Amino acid sequence: MYLLLILLTKTANRFVRFLGLGSGLTWPGHLALKLRPHLLRELASRLPAQTVLISGTNGKTTTAKLIRHLAESQGMSVLHNSSGANLFNGIVSCVLLGANWRGELPYDLAIFEVDEFTLPKLMKELTPSVLALLNLSRDQLDRHWETDLVLSKWLEAVRGLSTTSHLILPDFQAELAGLAEAFSGKVSFFGETEDNLNGTSLRGAFNARNVNCALLAAETLGIPQALSQPSLVGFEYAYGRGERFTRQGRSWQILLAKNPESLNQNLQLLQGGGVSYDTLLYVLNDNIPDGLDVSWIYDVSPRLLRKASEGKRVYVSGRRALDMAVRLQYAGVSISPKAVQADLPQVIKAMASESAVGEVAVLPNYSSMLEIRRALLGRRIL
Amino acid sequence: MKLTLGYFYPRELNLYGDTGNVEILISRAKARGAEVAVEEITSVTKLSSDAMRRIDLVFMGGGPDSGQQQMYRDLLEDKAPHLREHIEGGKVGLFICGAYQLMGHYYRSADGSELKGLSILDLYTQHFGHAQKRCVGNIVCALPEDLLTSPAFANCNLTGSHIVGFENHGGRTFLGKGTLPFAKVRRGFGNNGQDKTEGAHYKNTIGTYLHGPLLAKNPHIADYLIARALGVEKLTNLDDTIINNAHAALVKRFG
Repeated sequence: MYLLLILLTKTANRFVRFLGLGSGLTWPGHLALKLRPHLLRELASRLPAQTVLISGTNGKTTTAKLIRHLAESQGMSVLHNSSGANLFNGIVSCVLLGANWRGELPYDLAIFEVDEFTLPKLMKELTPSVLALLNLSRDQLDRHWETDLVLSKWLEAVRGLSTTSHLILPDFQAELAGLAEAFSGKVSFFGETEDNLNGTSLRGAFNARNVNCALLAAETLGIPQALSQPSLVGFEYAYGRGERFTRQGRSWQILLAKNPESLNQNLQLLQGGGVSYDTLLYVLNDNIPDGLDVSWIYDVSPRLLRKASEGKRVYVSGRRALDMAVRLQYAGVSISPKAVQADLPQVIKAMASESAVGEVAVLPNYSSMLEIRRALLGRRIL
Repeated sequence: MKLTLGYFYPRELNLYGDTGNVEILISRAKARGAEVAVEEITSVTKLSSDAMRRIDLVFMGGGPDSGQQQMYRDLLEDKAPHLREHIEGGKVGLFICGAYQLMGHYYRSADGSELKGLSILDLYTQHFGHAQKRCVGNIVCALPEDLLTSPAFANCNLTGSHIVGFENHGGRTFLGKGTLPFAKVRRGFGNNGQDKTEGAHYKNTIGTYLHGPLLAKNPHIADYLIARALGVEKLTNLDDTIINNAHAALVKRFG
């Protein structure tokens, strides 16, 4: 049955990719779970002894990529849902696609980033050796209602976690302190120091926290910081999370900003001079993966919106471009109606005809980040 | 011209960008040359009648359960008489979601337990348990004739006869005879998903389930509240090109 599923999954993946229906990284798992709802539990024993789960509102993809980078720098082989498909279907797809034809998972380490709402359910199927929780803030409230609800589910999951696991928590978010008390196994805390960014290409207070978390996770996996710290130099940003490229004779930096906290953090980085840019492009969608409710843009600091826009050209796009333009206007950013267009390729075209546009910082939410990558790079994910 | 906003429980009750409404009231009042002051009223504020009389417009948003638990006792024991005097005296108020529910008689939970409200608005709210769908989504409503024809409203920068926003509530609200609805639901749930009413309009107070930046999407409501609070009939027009485009596009898309 298991080998059959692997065959099925690999075929489905190739089929989806061949037809250009997507990256094929969620469908196979979706199919497999229909046939075997507890497939992950069945597969858990085949996973490497070292399995890291990473969850939190922001920084999951970057931190998972960091841990992978640190592990690979030490010659470890890693199974990782690097596409960011972090629901059950994405993780099951990753496991099945990562298996060889004999059904083995020949890796030293598995790293899965997990959606914060999915995490408690996933932990019923699979016991991690390391569980790293990055942070918790408001995100997609139309789906998750309140962060309190997510936290209570996390508490329950951590209470039931095997004491052989190692829990990693931030030392700067008081709301998460209860998790340490709820867990009877070993707990370590990472901090906010930005020292570890020195000499790396990573910028921003939020990335400092991601790096600190990754270094700590690596340490619990047996890689001492003295070994892992130097290898951070070669790290490249995860897709859409600070990645930079040149297209149409212009430089573009994509800074995923999908909730108040991540937009605030990125604006802080921009206005603090951490990124060189002359043009700002906001893209706001309200597709299912983004959450249907865009009210959160009013939880973003108007001061930061104004500061980051000072002296820059500002363009706005996405299905909710007008909502975003109104938000910027009330924050005191002057916006020309001509710079606001829902259709992303149209806005990119308008920017291409403007010679003053040289370095663009893009602030998209989730689905619009995929769209801008498709428009500029020809692919949505990896 | 001076406008004093009383922003009730800004920390406890600020879910879904409700604070944007205050930002917008300040911005649009200032653009009309008004001097604007914001008084933040929290659980530790000891409110006197004099201090309350200086407030022209009360705003109170929705909050998570934890936030509502923090302010509930203070609301009932300390702030209730002041809010009653304000609303009954015909002064202006905007109450969103959780705050709107608390202005009614009670909130009955799925387990039957009751949370007493201030009984200023003649309405009650009931949660029927998770068997009934939570009211979540974009919502478009038509404004009633009495509001549209009131002088303060007619002279506002009238964007249209509709309001658009987003709602997200488990409780369902039913209006008593003494309270008129704020609007009539065209698309969405509104108060209870049954009788097509949305929110409540009593004297110069509006209660609504359209959470978050209601006033961003509906500049005419913002201007109505400001005009009433300042006691003027007509506000000067602003350049609302983008804002009006946003309102029209949303009404068209979701209506």
